[in-house]
Amino acid sequence: MVRMLPSKMAWRRYGQSVILVVIATLLGQPIRVLINPTNLVMLYLLVVVISAVWLGRGPAVLSAFLGVLAFDVFFVPPRFMLGVADTQYLLTFAGLLLVGLVISALAAHASVQAHAARQREQQAIAGYELSRDLAAASEVSELLHVIMSHTARLFACDVAVCGMESGHVTWQAATPQFTADQNLAALVTQVWQSGKTTRAGVESNIAAGVNILPLQAGEKMLGVLVVKRRATDASLNSEQQRLLASFASQSALALERAQLARTAREAEILQAKEELQTTLLNSISHDLRTPLSSITGALSSLLDETAALTEATRRDLLENAWDEAARLNQLVSNLLDMTRLEAGAITVHRDPGDVQDLIGVVLARLGSRLGARPVSLDIPHDLPLVPMDFVLMVQVMVNLLDNALKYSGEGQPIAIRACTTGAHLRIAVADQGIGIPEDDREQVFAKFYRVPRADGQTGTGLGLSICKGIVEAHGGRIAVQRSDQEETVVTVDLPLTVSGDERNEA
Amino acid sequence: MSEAEVHILVVDDERAIRRFLHTSLSAHGYTVQEVSTGEEALAQVTRARPDIMILDLGLPDIDGVDVVRRLREWTQLPIIILSVREHEQDKIMALDAGADDYLTKPFGVGELMARLRVALRRVSQSGDEPVIVVQDLTVDLGQRTVNMAGQPVQLTPTEYDLLRLLALHRGKVLTHTHLLQQVRGAGYENDLHLLRVNISNLRRKIEPEPARPRYIMTEPGVGYRFLAE
Repeated sequence: MVRMLPSKMAWRRYGQSVILVVIATLLGQPIRVLINPTNLVMLYLLVVVISAVWLGRGPAVLSAFLGVLAFDVFFVPPRFMLGVADTQYLLTFAGLLLVGLVISALAAHASVQAHAARQREQQAIAGYELSRDLAAASEVSELLHVIMSHTARLFACDVAVCGMESGHVTWQAATPQFTADQNLAALVTQVWQSGKTTRAGVESNIAAGVNILPLQAGEKMLGVLVVKRRATDASLNSEQQRLLASFASQSALALERAQLARTAREAEILQAKEELQTTLLNSISHDLRTPLSSITGALSSLLDETAALTEATRRDLLENAWDEAARLNQLVSNLLDMTRLEAGAITVHRDPGDVQDLIGVVLARLGSRLGARPVSLDIPHDLPLVPMDFVLMVQVMVNLLDNALKYSGEGQPIAIRACTTGAHLRIAVADQGIGIPEDDREQVFAKFYRVPRADGQTGTGLGLSICKGIVEAHGGRIAVQRSDQEETVVTVDLPLTVSGDERNEA
Repeated sequence: MSEAEVHILVVDDERAIRRFLHTSLSAHGYTVQEVSTGEEALAQVTRARPDIMILDLGLPDIDGVDVVRRLREWTQLPIIILSVREHEQDKIMALDAGADDYLTKPFGVGELMARLRVALRRVSQSGDEPVIVVQDLTVDLGQRTVNMAGQPVQLTPTEYDLLRLLALHRGKVLTHTHLLQQVRGAGYENDLHLLRVNISNLRRKIEPEPARPRYIMTEPGVGYRFLAE
């Protein structure tokens, strides 16, 4: 296949075609006496074909002419003279020359075709690579980087992407060597407004090798692509300009997609946020005010000098205020935890944890709230240590026990059981209280969800959703069931081993 | 020393907290001085030589942990941290910097008084009692023996070392790192597995009910504390 070789190599190709003609002539000498000289024309045609295919059009034409000449001089009588004895050889010369020239033309055409095909292939690959990388990027910043790097590499140029904000050009991203001036900004503004590509030749005051393209999806202008060839005199040919235009339209579509996705995401977040705020405000204002009212009430009674309070009453009021303050504190902690879980600010630091120790800490923490409540423990001594964030798991268990206490009667027993089930450690908290209707058993883990009840128990509906968040961050599961013994059982399953990619960074 | 002579320096930038501490501590017979910044605290310790310090971590000028570090360069003044920071890392940092104890706000006065007593007693005690007796548990440091309700308890050397360390610092939180360093030496600070297993075994030997420990309390994420009194 013919390459578009640099001119330095051209004389060599012509030389090679001459050598081929010489070889053909030498080869023809021994067989000249055996066959009719006319048949030796085939040798020269072969030379022309070889030259056309491997050396290019020019050398092929040269070999055709030289072939005719050599044939005349060396084979056609009288030999070693330009003239011919038999005029029919003139026809042979004409045939040889004509066939040689046609072959040269055909070979050259094929070579141009091949070159064009290769260029199309390269462009198709470039386009494919661009669209592949654009598809992989989701953020606008990533897209800009993809657009710039591909364009810069393919066209050997400096690239910038800019937008317009309140009449001013904003340079959103540019390759390191890119420089801009007032003139360029004016041209960018013009492209932004007109939506038409501009370059040297189209516009008078534009440097050679600079192309400014709109990044436009439908009617919407998403930005302007500025391309500056590094060699200032190197304008893009029409093929490259077409490719650049297709780059620009692909880029524009990708940018539009990213912007739409971002807008949708923002809208979604905003809506969720608004919903959350409404629920939060409704729930929180009630739940914060209840203990606060009790505390304020108790304190105002104590401050009231006109009230005749017995020592027992004073004590009662104070204890009530103390309990309510503790509840308020728990509520604030839950709210903070929820916020942290939501914001992804809670990281699980797993260390080997002792389940018995965990339960011990939880029981100590609940302290007076447990009162005289019978709590039975079934925790085998030979349980393995389990990878867990001890502090977060304390919180989970406190919340679970708090619920068990809240939703079961004064004297009703609570059971805490632990065992291993396959690859998990299971901790179960069982109470014999009112239970959770079957339809609500999934929903109790949703944020702010509370089973509608008439008994006036208060809470934010945050406890279980925090538990779920923490347990799932451990790669575990939490579920609520009704056992055969009429118990409400909340089970927490934690994996006994942590897979490599989940291990703590620490 | 009698409580009337005990001077407490309260360092907190919240006026409401200072007021409440002043009232409660005075009512228990302590003499209270208050400052609201870290620099004032450092100056006041040099000038007035208080017996104990109650320190908030979130001070407007220097962080409480730095106040502890700077004081520890020259004084063993007992320091109790009071803070709203409930993260274990904050507690560990303050304790490792040299603070004696840590209370998270909000807290009850009863709890604070107990911690104050523990910290003050540690300063006054000579530290060379050969036998530690806590309720039913007796640790004879001279003989390296442990008795539970009169019955001898067999401990491994690591278990004994842990118990000895905790019992010597009754009421004080010892961090995981500190315990491992003391018991196993440098290089084992992060071997939490080893610590958990040993504490679990130790509890099984000395606690009547290991799931409701009386002697060795867990401070989640921070360390362990031996029963104060």
